[in-house]
Amino acid sequence: MPQAIGAETPEQTALRESVRELLARGPGDSLWFRLAGQMGLAALAVPESAGGAGAGLAEVAVVVEELGRALVPVPYLSTALAAAVLGEGDERAAATFLPALVSGAGTAALALHGDVRCTAGRLDGVADHVLDGGGAGTLLVRVGTEVHVARATDADVTRSETLDQTRGQASVRFRQVPAVRTGLAADRVEQLAQVLLAVESVGGAEHCLAATVAYLKIREQFGRPIGSFQALKHRCADLAAEVASAGATARAAVAAAGGADPATAELPVLAPLAKRYCAEVFLHVAAEMIQLHGGIGFTWEHEAHRYFKRAKSTQLLYGTPAELRRVIGTRAGLTG
Amino acid sequence: MPHPDDERFRAEVRGWLGSALTGEFAGLIGKGGPGREHEFVEERMAWERRLGADGWIGIGWPESDGGRGLRWQQQVIFHEEYARAGAPARVGHIGEQLLGPTLLMFGTARHKARFLPGILAGTELWCQGYSEPGAGSDLAAVRTRADLHDGAWHVNGQKVWTSLAQFADWCFVVARTDPSSQRHRGLSYLLVPMHQAGIEIRPIMQLTGTSEFNEVFFDDARAAAEDVVGEPGDGWRVAMGTLAVERGVSTFGQQMGFEREFDAVLEQARALGSIADPDIAARITDAWIGLQVLRYTARALLGAPAGTTPGTEANVVKLLWAPWHQRLGELAVDVAGPDATVVGPGYDLSDAQRLFLFTRADTIYGGSNEIQRNLIAERQLGLPKG
Repeated sequence: MPQAIGAETPEQTALRESVRELLARGPGDSLWFRLAGQMGLAALAVPESAGGAGAGLAEVAVVVEELGRALVPVPYLSTALAAAVLGEGDERAAATFLPALVSGAGTAALALHGDVRCTAGRLDGVADHVLDGGGAGTLLVRVGTEVHVARATDADVTRSETLDQTRGQASVRFRQVPAVRTGLAADRVEQLAQVLLAVESVGGAEHCLAATVAYLKIREQFGRPIGSFQALKHRCADLAAEVASAGATARAAVAAAGGADPATAELPVLAPLAKRYCAEVFLHVAAEMIQLHGGIGFTWEHEAHRYFKRAKSTQLLYGTPAELRRVIGTRAGLTG
Repeated sequence: MPHPDDERFRAEVRGWLGSALTGEFAGLIGKGGPGREHEFVEERMAWERRLGADGWIGIGWPESDGGRGLRWQQQVIFHEEYARAGAPARVGHIGEQLLGPTLLMFGTARHKARFLPGILAGTELWCQGYSEPGAGSDLAAVRTRADLHDGAWHVNGQKVWTSLAQFADWCFVVARTDPSSQRHRGLSYLLVPMHQAGIEIRPIMQLTGTSEFNEVFFDDARAAAEDVVGEPGDGWRVAMGTLAVERGVSTFGQQMGFEREFDAVLEQARALGSIADPDIAARITDAWIGLQVLRYTARALLGAPAGTTPGTEANVVKLLWAPWHQRLGELAVDVAGPDATVVGPGYDLSDAQRLFLFTRADTIYGGSNEIQRNLIAERQLGLPKG
């Protein structure tokens, strides 16, 4: 059993197990209905007064980690994050947009990248790389330093074909689209997204390592399991150390997002740090997964390429490694 | 969440260090440690006795054995504050952190009564006699012999890489006591006094130009018949027990030391202006990121309750910190540029040069990183032995 991200409460462990159980039944069209509609997981971090579960980002992180491990193409990260943001923000925005997300009837997309302006409550401009943008009904849109919420049906949404086919993107053109301010700072929403992407990367990286180690134990060449060769064992040990450190870092970031642990760095530094580090580790493990599987790892049929593509996409979205290094250097007071 | 008792304890440690690191000990701040173990040895031995007199040695040992029975978190706090204050590198740590816990696990009542008080008082220093020229990573290849006759163990052979041997009063030695035995059978764990005619110590000059390690030659050196820990022939199990306790709270003091070293490199980069170089700036940020990752990882892995984990956490942490530390050493000299190519009179190294050179040892000692990888691969990942 892959190691969970950290010391968790019995409730979080139960949540993790129920999500695993659901995902073990395999994908399917009804997965979102079961996940969001029946289990109510999209509204985990929404206050009970607004119909949610009244849990927090730590619980959303548990689900995100498991979805990352199974690499399931559901718009959970965007939707759960949007629901959490709406739940802690402006009441009018929540009253209008939250019910569909809470019930699981609708999904949300994150339009945090692009150039969108707001004049008299109307949005104009273009957002690209809108995460989970293809089928979403609700759009969370960065407008300068703020975040607004709008209906996708009021905008021009063009679905993109993506390198990582397990996570949809769209580009969205806004022409006088009515929108409501959420009252939350765009930086904070972006940082929460970075924390969740870090956690998701850890789930993916743990899976890649576990699957690779399992394969090395059964694949035989030269009359012995190839996992007995020191050249391969040492690479796996390095990966195990990286994965463990990524898990610890992501867990610290989740704690910082909840303001729970005064011993961790502040979220504005730790969110980009965790996202940068965990995505880097995920990419490395996924690349090694391909290499250590040999020819089969290079085929379309094998799952390795899906993790590899997810890892690279995660690494490039919401701050490339170079951008995030500059951000971290500045915010930590090291450089610039 | 920090426990209120822990915060009180932190204040107590800080207060004590603040008052103790004055007068004759004020000059010891930042002294000693890897690459500079030769510094201020007499003064640091006096400091060890001061630590002992005020009850700061063996704080995690049971009260019945002379310790303070403090919780793990409080031991971590002590090591953190010790490092934060820049208190001098210990000379008694081998006795406190390796031999003491071994005697607590395997020693007789007589062993404990004889040896623990000297460790706790800081009056008896220890060194470790494991490695030999032909037994490095392969410890079971030990060839040093010990024979019991005339009421004493007679020890013959050679140990190497023995830290602080020239200052130690005692050495715990793994020796072959059954001449017909092979590998890890037939070894015994002996407590050998260092001040005797049959022992010769030769310092090893390292690539730093300094000597913190020694060769120790045993030529019919004597140990008392009863100074064998565990049964004769059972030394391998005892020695492995010592290695297991090496995974310790001292890692957290080490983290604090890393922070101080990083801060010094950053300060140099600013003072010399090399931080304006985008490549240096990027490497500084990467080093800082690595330091945070190390901190979170050590806390998460080594903070887990014993018995709930695969037992390879310390291996994982070592595999991460040692290469990080080497990269910091490389960065430290690159920050200085061509000036780092010139040393002081008598091969006197700057802090940056010492960090650059000494960190090459980090991936070798305490189990080379290749050995760490084997352990992680086999014990944690379950990959088959080759």
